[in-house]
Parts: sequence; C-alpha cells; structure tokens
Amino acid sequence: MSTQKRRNFQIEAFKHRVVVDPKYAEKTWNILEHAIHEIYNHNASGLSFEELYRNAYNMVLHKFGEKLYSGLVTTMTMHLREISKSIEDAQGGSFLEELNRKWADHNKALQMIRDILMYMDRTFIPSTHKTPVHALGLNLWRDNIIHSSNIQTRLLNTLLDLVQEERTGEIIDRWLVRNVIMMLMDLGSAVYQEDFEKHFLNVSANFYSVESQQFIECCDCGDYLKKAERRLNEEMERVSQYLDPSSEAKITNVVEKEMIANHMHRLVHMENSGLVNMLVDDKYEDLGRMYSLFRRVPDGLSLIRDVMTSHIRDTGRQLVTDPEKARNPVDFVQRLLDEKDKHDKIISMAFNNDKTFQNALNSSFEYFINLNPRSPEFISLFVDEKLRKGLKGYSEEDVEVVLDKVMMLFRYLQEKDVFEKYYKQHLAKRLLSGKTVSDDAERSLIVKLKTECGYQFTSKLEGMFTDMKTSQDTMQGFHASQATNLGDGPTLVVQVLTTGSWPTQPSPACNLPAEILGVCEKFRMYYLGTHTGRRLSWQTNMGTADLKATFGKGQKHELNVSTYQMCILMLFNNADRLSYKEIEQATEIPASDLKRSLQSLALIKGKNVLRKEPMSKDIGEDDAFFFNDKFTSKFIKLKINTVNAQKESEPEKQETRQRVEEDRKPQVEAAIVRIMKSRRVLDHNNIVAEVTKQLQSRFLPNPVVIKKRIESLIEREFLERDKVDRKLYRYLA
Amino acid sequence: MSNPKPWTIDSDLDGIDLGPEDFKASIPLKKVPAGDVFEAARAGDVDRLRYLIESGVNVNARDQWDSVALYYACLAGHLDAARMLLESGAICSEHTFDGDRCHYAALNLKVRKLLKAFEARPPPLGALQSALRETFLGCRGNRVYLEESDGYVLAVWEDISMDFIDGLPVSRGPLSNDESNAYLFPSDVVFFVQGRPVEAHRVILSARSPFFKKKFETDWKQRREVRFSREKLSYHALYSLIHFFYSDRLEISVDNMEDLVRICKVCKCEGLHRVLEKEVIHQKYAEYKALKDVDNSQKRFILQALSLPEPDRLSSALHRILQGSLAKQSCEGELDVDKCVTGFEAIKMTESSDLADVCIKVDKRIFRCHQVILASRSEYFRARLFRMTNFLEGKYSLPVRTLPLLEERDLSAEAFEKMIEYMYTDRLEDIDPDQAEEMFDAASRYLLFPLKRAVADVLLPHLEMVSPAELCHWLILSDMYGVLKIREYCLDLIACNFETFAETLEFRAMLLTLPPPSGDSSMRTTLPSIPGTAGNAEQGNLLDDLREKWLEAEAAELDKRDESAALFDKRLEMLMLVAEQERSTTAEHLDDD
Repeated sequence: MSTQKRRNFQIEAFKHRVVVDPKYAEKTWNILEHAIHEIYNHNASGLSFEELYRNAYNMVLHKFGEKLYSGLVTTMTMHLREISKSIEDAQGGSFLEELNRKWADHNKALQMIRDILMYMDRTFIPSTHKTPVHALGLNLWRDNIIHSSNIQTRLLNTLLDLVQEERTGEIIDRWLVRNVIMMLMDLGSAVYQEDFEKHFLNVSANFYSVESQQFIECCDCGDYLKKAERRLNEEMERVSQYLDPSSEAKITNVVEKEMIANHMHRLVHMENSGLVNMLVDDKYEDLGRMYSLFRRVPDGLSLIRDVMTSHIRDTGRQLVTDPEKARNPVDFVQRLLDEKDKHDKIISMAFNNDKTFQNALNSSFEYFINLNPRSPEFISLFVDEKLRKGLKGYSEEDVEVVLDKVMMLFRYLQEKDVFEKYYKQHLAKRLLSGKTVSDDAERSLIVKLKTECGYQFTSKLEGMFTDMKTSQDTMQGFHASQATNLGDGPTLVVQVLTTGSWPTQPSPACNLPAEILGVCEKFRMYYLGTHTGRRLSWQTNMGTADLKATFGKGQKHELNVSTYQMCILMLFNNADRLSYKEIEQATEIPASDLKRSLQSLALIKGKNVLRKEPMSKDIGEDDAFFFNDKFTSKFIKLKINTVNAQKESEPEKQETRQRVEEDRKPQVEAAIVRIMKSRRVLDHNNIVAEVTKQLQSRFLPNPVVIKKRIESLIEREFLERDKVDRKLYRYLA
Repeated sequence: MSNPKPWTIDSDLDGIDLGPEDFKASIPLKKVPAGDVFEAARAGDVDRLRYLIESGVNVNARDQWDSVALYYACLAGHLDAARMLLESGAICSEHTFDGDRCHYAALNLKVRKLLKAFEARPPPLGALQSALRETFLGCRGNRVYLEESDGYVLAVWEDISMDFIDGLPVSRGPLSNDESNAYLFPSDVVFFVQGRPVEAHRVILSARSPFFKKKFETDWKQRREVRFSREKLSYHALYSLIHFFYSDRLEISVDNMEDLVRICKVCKCEGLHRVLEKEVIHQKYAEYKALKDVDNSQKRFILQALSLPEPDRLSSALHRILQGSLAKQSCEGELDVDKCVTGFEAIKMTESSDLADVCIKVDKRIFRCHQVILASRSEYFRARLFRMTNFLEGKYSLPVRTLPLLEERDLSAEAFEKMIEYMYTDRLEDIDPDQAEEMFDAASRYLLFPLKRAVADVLLPHLEMVSPAELCHWLILSDMYGVLKIREYCLDLIACNFETFAETLEFRAMLLTLPPPSGDSSMRTTLPSIPGTAGNAEQGNLLDDLREKWLEAEAAELDKRDESAALFDKRLEMLMLVAEQERSTTAEHLDDD
C-alpha cells in the first residue's frame, strides 16, 4: 500500500522498501542473532560492523526496537547459561580462573554488541526507559552467573578460603582475586557488599575472635599488642591489594573490635605486663603501640587515661604521705620532679603529646601534691636549697630549667599564699646572711612568680631586694661620714629593712655589749639625720658578727657567730664562769633563742668555745658555762652555726599556719566587699562561690572562714542581712 | 519567543531563583528602533536587541567608552536585556575587565544574581565547537591543565610524560566500562613546552594557522612529538591558543597575554593577533573597579570567536579544509572496484596537503575525510574508527603510508557530502527538499541529532507549498525519524484543515498504517502502550496527538471535550473503513493489471 501511495509523489521512496517485506524483521533479527552468537564464539572477524549496525539501525527505525531488545535479552541469557555451565564444570582451583576468563570474554563481547546496537542504546532505550545495553549485560551476568545457585556459594567460599589461607601464612594468587573482586564491584557495589563483603566481615570477626582469645591466653600485653598491630596492618594491606577501598574502614573496624575493644580491660589490667607495669618500666614502644591501637576504639584512650591517672595518684599519694620521705624536703621535691619528668617523657614519647593525657597528668599532680599540707613549705625549702648552694656551677640555662620545674610544681599548689609566706622567710634569711648564690637566679624566679601570680604577689619580695640595695648605699655613706672618728672600734654593717616587706617578728631587743651600742647609736644618728620621720628598731635575732678570740695557748681564731652568740661571748671577756641565769639577765635574750645559742657554743664538737657543767646534752636553767681554754681547731676561721632546724618545728609550724590564716582574713574580707559592692544583694551560697573563684589563684578559702568574715563585716556594718530572707546579704555603702 | 514569560518555565532558570515579577523593569523601557546594540541595551528595547543579535552583532564589542552592551543593561537594571545578552554569549566572568565592570555597575541585587548565575555557567558553545573541545580535553595530557587550574597538585605528571615517550598515548584499563564512551579521539601530535605536553590534531591546527599548516607539510611531517626548548614560549599561552583553535573560545590570564600575542604573530593568526594586540594595550590602562587588589595573574581575558571576522572562526577554517579535501576527492573510476569489496581497503596516501587520514567510500564516490572531526561529531564513527579490531573491518592490518578506506552503504553520495559539510562547519546550505528525507536518515543513522533540526529548518518553508498528500508523507517520515518540528507543523496543518485531508485518498491510506489511538482519554498525554510505536520520549501516539490538536483547533468547550473526542474517533474509524475498501479495490485493480 505504501508503494502505491507514494506513486503519486515526486519524492523517491527511499527507505520504505524494507517495510514491504513482512518477514523483514525476522530476517534482520536472524542476521543480528547470528552475529551475537559469532561474537560469543570468538568468531567475529567475519562480521561487518557497518552492515550489522545498519541492520540494527533499520530495525529500530521501523519500530522493531522491542523485538530487537527482547531478542538480545534472550540470546545473551542463553549464552550466559552456557557460560555458567562451563564455569560450574571447572574443577577446584581452576574455578576462579575460568570465571575470570569468561568475565573478560563477556566484557569484550558486550562492548562489541553495544557498538552494534549503538542506535538502539541512544534512542529506543531512553524513550522506553529500559536498561542500557552495557548495564543489561552486567545485570544478566549477575543474575545468571553470580547469583546462580551453584556458583554463588562456591564463589563466596572460594574467596573466603583464599583469604583464610593467606591469613594463615600461605601465598595466594592476589591478581586473580583482585580481578574477581573488581568484577563484583563492576556489577554494582550492592553485589559486592551482599555477595562478598558481608560474609567476609562475618568470617573475619569469627576468625579474630578465636585468635584473640588464643593470644590473650598465652601472650603478655606487649606481645599481644604487637600481634594485633600486625594483623591490622595485614588487613589494610589486603584491602589495598585486592579488595575495594570502601571495605577498609569496615574490616579494620572488625579487627579493632575483636582484637582490641573486646579485650581492652583485660589487656590494660594484665598482671605483670599491663599498663601499670609499662608505665613503671618506661616501655615507650609498647605504650606507643597501645596508644595507637586503643585510639581506634571508642573509650580506648579514656581507659588508658583513667588507669594512668589512678596509677599516678597512687604513687603520688604514697610519695607525699610517706613520713620517711617527708623528712628531707629537698629529696621530697626532687622525687616529685622526677616523677613528673618520667610521665612527661612517656606522654611525649608514647602518647603523641596528647592534650587530654597532659591534662590528666596535671590534675593528678595537683591532686596529690595538695594532699600534703606541707608541700608549699617543702617546695620553698627546695628552692632555698637550690639557691643557697645547689645551683653552684650550673649554667644559666640549667638554672632556668630547674626554676621552671619548680614553677610547674608551684602551679599545682592550691595554697599559694602559704608558699609565699615560706618563700619570704627563706628569701629573707638568704638575703640577710648573704648566702644567695646568684642574684640573677633569684630575680628570674621572682619574675616567674610575677608572671604566674601577678604584681601583688611579688611586690614585697621585690621590696626586699630594693632594701638590700639601699642598705648598701646607706652603709657606704655611713662609712664615708665616719671614716675619721671610727678608729679601731667594731665595724658595723646595717641592713635597713622596711617594716611590712620582711617577715620580721617583733622580738624584744637584747642587751648589746657597750662597744656595739656606741656604734649603733652613731649609725642611728647618721640615718635619722638623712631620713627624717623614721624609726629604727634593731632586729638582733637576725644579725651576725665576726669576733677575734684568743685561747689558752695563745692560738687566735676568728669566730663567725650570730648576734646573740656575740652577746654571750662578749660577756666572757670579763668572766670565766657564768651561770645560765646570769647570762639570761645580762643579755635578755629570749629563752628559746638563748638555749639554742648556748647549745651551739658549748655542745658541738670542734666548735665548743664554751664549756658547760654538767656535761649533759641539753641546756638546763642551772647550768654553768666556762670559757674553754683548751679549745683547739685547725681552722683559723670558724663558723658557729646556731642550731636551727631547717624544717620548722611543730610549734613554729602552728605559728606560721596561724599567721597565714590571719593574713587570709583581710583578703577574704576584701573579696567579699568587692563582690558585694558590685552586686549589692547576694545570697550566702553565691558569695561563697564567688569568693572561692576570686581567691583560688592564691588559696582555697574555707567556707567556714568566709562565713565568719561575713559575720564580722555585718558587725562592722559593711553588710546587713535582708529583713525578709535571712540568707540574703545587702551591701551598705 | 517574543514573550519574556517562557523564561520562567525554562529549565535554564533552575539555577536562578528569580520569579517572573523580578523581571519587571525597574527603569522605564524605551524603544530605539534604529539604535545600535549599546543603545538598545541601555533602553531595554528587547525587540531591537533580538533583531540585532539575530543579525549577528558581536555582543562583546566595546563602544568608544570601553563599555559593552551588557554593562549598559546592568547599569540600567534591564534584566530582560541583560539575560538576552548573556544567553547570546556576553561575557560576565568576574575576573575579566568587562565582567568586572558589569558586576560593579549592576543596579541592584537582582542583576547581580543574574550575573552570578551566568558566571557559573558560561554561554554554551555551538555543537561543533563543544564536540571538538571535548575531544581536545579528552586527551590525557590536556586534561591535566584543567585539573591543575582547579587547584590540584599533580603527582601524575611524570607518569603522563612517560606515556608519550614512545609516542602513543595509550588508554588504560579495560575499554569495556562506561568510560569508553568518554574515551575520545587520541591526538596525533604532542607539543612539549616548558616540559609539559599539549596534545593536538594536525588538521585542526592546520585549519586555524598557516604557520602550523606549513610546518606539518615540511619539518614536522613525520613527527608525532615536537619539543619547544625556548624558554620564552609560555605553556599557558600555547595551551590557551590551541584550546581556542578547538573551541572558538579564548580564555587567558592577563599575565600571559603578551606571550600569546607573540605566539599569534608567529602562527599567523592575523585576526586574533590584531584583537589581542589592541586588548593588551587596553589592559595596560584598564581600570578595574571591583578588583583593585587582584594582580594580573588572576585577571582574565575571555574572547568569543564572534569578536573575530568571519574567516577567522572555526567553522570557516574547517570549511576551507573540507573544500580542499573535496577538491582532491578521487572518483570511482580511479579505483579497482574489487578492492573495495572487503569494506576496509586502503588506498595509497597521495602526497597531499589536505591532511586527510581516512577515506570513505559512499555510493561509488570516495571522500577524503579527517578522523578527528568524524569521531568528535559522531559516536558511530568513533566506534567505527576505533573499536573494529574484532570485526571484519579490523582483520587486515594496514600497510604503512596508506589511507584506510571505509565503505558506507545504503546512502547516496550527495547526502553524505551534505552531512560531512555539516559535520565540519555546523552549517547546512542549499538543501533540496528532495534530499531532506535522506538527510534525516543519515542524521539518525550517524547519531548526528542536531542535523535533523538543521534540515527541518531548511525544509519548513518548502512544506508551505506542498499538497496534502505529500504532507502526509512528511508526517510519517518526521514521526519515524523523530523530527519534532516537522511533525508538529504537519499535525497543526492537518488538524486545522481536517476536512480537506479527510477527502484525500493518501490521508485515509495513511490512517491504516498507523497504530490505533488509545481510547482512554486519560491515556492521551501518556506514552502509548503499543510496543515499537514511540521513536522518541516526547513523541506520543500520532493519532492521539492529532486528536489533541484537532480539539484545540476546533476550540471545543471544555465540558464537551470528551464528547468531541469520541466524535473524532468515530470519524477516524469511518475514514479507515473507507480506506480499507479503497485498498481492496485498488488491489483488485492491480490484480486485474
């Protein structure tokens, strides 16, 4: 009919002759079907691409697209069935190879078929929403080969067996496995996940669960970690070699869970090789491994951190509460520093300088250092020791290092004001006795304290240094003015100390010998002449004196003694025997000081310039003292120390503590007033919280103390209680 | 398209969240019937602007105040005009001088939004240009440049240059994957500049630059690899130039422009040279408004081929090449006919300057063609030229220094000639309506879908004068080849003059060959269920579409639509009955003969 229709046109019916043949579609399809067979049989070199393409094109053009498409599906399915059979028939080890070879063949054939059917791919398929040829080929392969019942499980088992073999140390054909895995990925990641990865992960989990159980029974912690690390690396390498990269996170997750997370606590607490032992033995390598492995599992690091913290607290507590160790403060502090160094090194070498670990370390130190209320005193003593003699011969950098470490300990202290108190005392002693090794070191420490705690903290300390300097100038001026009329009287060196800056206790002045009193009076005249409106009082308990003494056989010695001792000795210029009472009356030295001075003059071997009767160890009120004629010493110069304990005695401690408490009162009050001034009205709990916050850089105020201070302020009418709510305080301006 | 509204349903607008109300003019529009493109843009006279653009005005030209038309449109806030200019390829990239000024001048946020949207999506290239650009970028060595400019640090560099040492850029991995579609035509010459490769195809370079043409005929004739050792030659400049050769779009940083000018001079690209020389001077004194702190390496210059004289554009250049090839074309007489039977025979590579690297035998004529162009434009040829090793065509390996010969059957030489002309130039001239059918066939077969539209454009005026019988023929054809423009036209015409057609014998005969319309009215707009009827996703059942058109043409009341539709279906059934009778009588009549 169409021929007839077109007879009327001048246009030549170019394409339509094919339609005339009712068997056209059948014939053309037969040609194409034959071609597909030939392609699958590796026999395509006789096929003309141009002709096949043209035929496929014409079929689609004349609306036989559906026939072409369904024909393609049937033919390809048929071939894939055959392939499936030949793969199933493959024996044992050749199974994978056969599969791989057939896959390559199929891909090649698919490419050729796609080229032939390109027109269908471009027009018919999108308009009818069918699967494109390439994807169709993959889907058919998936359904007919991979999901065929005989192949699916066999493939899975073969792959899993190979992996298992490799895990047990055998060598497998990785290239082949990789190709098969890539095939699964080409078929879509869902196929890979469902048909391989899922099972792979399950099997791996079982494997590692059993293996880790074995390991943990027979290995110590370090070895176990080594093995776990090796397994982890093996799995990562496996993924990079022949699995899909997306599996890496999953498989490492399995290993982490089975090998580490499940045995985490047991590993950490393992006897003789657990974390604590590693810490004690400084096993950096093992610790580092533990850190990097545990970091991979949830809560792993916090477990390590907790165990480490409790270990440090325990050892720290033992350290600070051991009364044996507390006997030698320098040693005590040195131990703390060593402990800190040790753990710092562990954290930097093994724990990757992890901030949370550093914080844990710091909080542990803070915890146990403050367990011992004498820590501030000890630290100050340690500094004292170092600055007196310990630092002799150190280079400037080394000094800095030591001071920095001390500052670090200082930061852990809660009662910084106690430290300040002790530090002031010790510093005063150092300065007055001229014992300090290096002014630079002293100043450097002051600067550090200043940066740490602010100007207020160190202003008095700095005042002490200024006094020392001014005194030097004053003395120069004094000697210059007295140069003519001093003659050969005693030489006086005075340090003028500003009241308040120094930890002076008002002590009753003793009676100085007349010779000294004269010079003192001259100095007083001189000083008050240059500075009006000041008052000088003598701190005889802190001075020293150099005496020249001649003994029985004419041997001469120079004695370096304290002012008190000087007073006592000067008495013996006029008498050979004096009773304790006589000495006490003549000098008016406080009893405790007097006893100590006498002790050091009479009872220390080699320095016993006085003789006591009776010869007992202690000084009694009824004792009598004689000038020791027979005293000999091979040294010309002798230093007679007053017996004074480096550490404070119990009553002194109480006293210091009391003074600290006393000092705290105004600070607490000032803080309360500051707070109330800005807030006007506040309830009790909030005041306590705020005061604590304001003062904690210096000390931790006791709530009871705060309450007392509030009451005192109410008494003095700075505050009043609210009339309705008794818990509220109001500020009265 | 005289109505600006269609833009709102335009899929292009997806990226811009401007509603139709945003397109209301913020400044009163004026008409400037005699104005130039600048005046039209400033006045917002969209009609004038459309006329000017259609007549081929260069939208990126600057006036005596160094301003482009887009600048005026932005300054005055004429969104319509600005959009039209941008769609016609006006440059608004931020780091260019013109783009910078437009952004700076933008009257309000809406204008700025529009500019941003188009900046992210440069104006589309023509079919030819984009196909060749893809081929160019498909070469591994060239892709590197793009990735690099995206901020990648390239570790694969060594690797790539290793590939080129033995001269063949080999593709890796199995071709079986989907990537094979992206795998395009490999280059036949590689330049190394400052140690980095630029891959290219001889014929394109020869077409665009007399310098390269001469070199390829003489010094570089046998070479696959050319190394430039001169330090002065800039890689970026050369890359930009060669990219321009393929895509007709030049993009270069201001820093490299002087290098490019030098290269252009050597390459004898005179038109481009002239424009660039002027631009270099301009850039020296150009004052960037918004980009004061940006240095020259970040500033760019973008040039569309529209700014160049006609002969300097890609299609003209390839047209010249094609003319050269056609002139040398051998005729069937010179060849041994028997040799062609195998379908992939070789003919001696004659010492010629047309650089043809493949011969195609169609209907006893032999065309000398260029593989790169065929492969870039048609997926069919790409497969045919590359993946034939397993078919009959790939059985014989080619002797050296001969041209491969392909044979295409079932096609006339005239149609093929027109087709390759289109492939080379994107242009179609002097199509005989008689040829149109075959052209549709060629366009479908070689997967050159834009060609269908081009042929349809030529054919449409002709259809105004054809008889109803012939129109039926075209309707069938356009339905088969999926030429929507013609199909719509025919359906409209038939629906409007239904009675005339009902009386036409051919129309009735045609009805019998068509699949029946779907009865269900709800099915009208959906895809037909009968297999094999649809050639294209947008194409429904022909008779369903006809009914829709008829209902529209008859302007039936909405509530009576279903009734009218039933009426129409009845009418069709009757016509088919008549046709059946006519057929049997004709058959008898024929039998009698």
